[in-house]
Amino acid sequence: MKKFSLIKLYFIFVKVGAILLGGGYVILPILNSELCEKRDLIKENELTDYFALSQSLPGMIATNISIFTGYKIRGALGAITAMLGTVTAPVISIIILASFLECIAGNSYITGTFRGIGVAVTALIFLTTREIWQKSNRDGFFYFILAVALVGLLYIKASPAVVIVFCSMLGVLIKRIKRYRRID
Amino acid sequence: MIQLLVYEFFKIGLFSFGGGYATIPFLYDISIRYNWYSLRELTNMIAVASITPGPVGVNTATYAGLKTAGIAGALFATFSEILPSLILVIIVSKILKKFSDNFYVKSVIDTLKPVCCALLLSVGAGLIMPEIGSIKFMLLLGVFLIISFKSKKDPIFYILLGGIAGILNVLIQKLDLSACLM
Repeated sequence: MKKFSLIKLYFIFVKVGAILLGGGYVILPILNSELCEKRDLIKENELTDYFALSQSLPGMIATNISIFTGYKIRGALGAITAMLGTVTAPVISIIILASFLECIAGNSYITGTFRGIGVAVTALIFLTTREIWQKSNRDGFFYFILAVALVGLLYIKASPAVVIVFCSMLGVLIKRIKRYRRID
Repeated sequence: MIQLLVYEFFKIGLFSFGGGYATIPFLYDISIRYNWYSLRELTNMIAVASITPGPVGVNTATYAGLKTAGIAGALFATFSEILPSLILVIIVSKILKKFSDNFYVKSVIDTLKPVCCALLLSVGAGLIMPEIGSIKFMLLLGVFLIISFKSKKDPIFYILLGGIAGILNVLIQKLDLSACLM
């Protein structure tokens, strides 16, 4: 396969960073659209794995998942390129806006705009969930882990990292028991 | 000064689990220990970080660095915060690549799909719960979901439409037309 250009990769991630409004979670639908649908650089199920892994590692989800995908596409250089691309627009916008940020933060039009964007973000989160849902192989194992994770997150209110690590151990345990049964 | 900034933000990057807002307790701690920025400035920083593009953690690091040591400070703080991620993610990627046929790695990957659905659902629930009483919020959300059933759109489409709807909402309130419209 021909290597994907680092410069192109950089500009894809500049765009991703620039439209990354309303929290890091929106990066999943954005990357899905930019890397899977428009360019076929990465598989969708790989992207969801990276998303979960990004949450179980320290640091920000958006930068972690950018580095994962960058590494997948072009190795260590790709990882650095993706990281630089993602932070370009945020860093420049903060440096430029810093001096008059305080009046911006209080402006009712700005806060109103971001309330609207908040609705869009919510919609995007549900659309992404629906897409992953439709593309997963939903067997008993899937529903069981989903239920355990939901109880952990919504009812016990454990941190995502704890839930991911716990569910991974549980998943490995279940698969091992299944394998031993098959051998018997 | 810069060395201290690099050290502090590297530490934040290494110890903050679960997204940008997890960095806030660390930033709070810094504001108490050093005289880099005041608590009031920290509050502004968080408000600003949530309305500029990019992860909140990156934005707060850039802003704190800028306040402390100018543009060089902004760059150093931001990159020191991401450096632990870069190192760890590359290590994890290498492990995944090398052991992709390993039983344990495969089992963990199989488990991550349902966990990922659960994570997204809980984020969605967290976003909807405070707005459940807002008719405008639910109405707009409904419109977005209906559009998505009709045809597949770029995420930017929803973000732009959401922003426009937000501005219109403020305009309507300013003009006090809400009484006629509701």
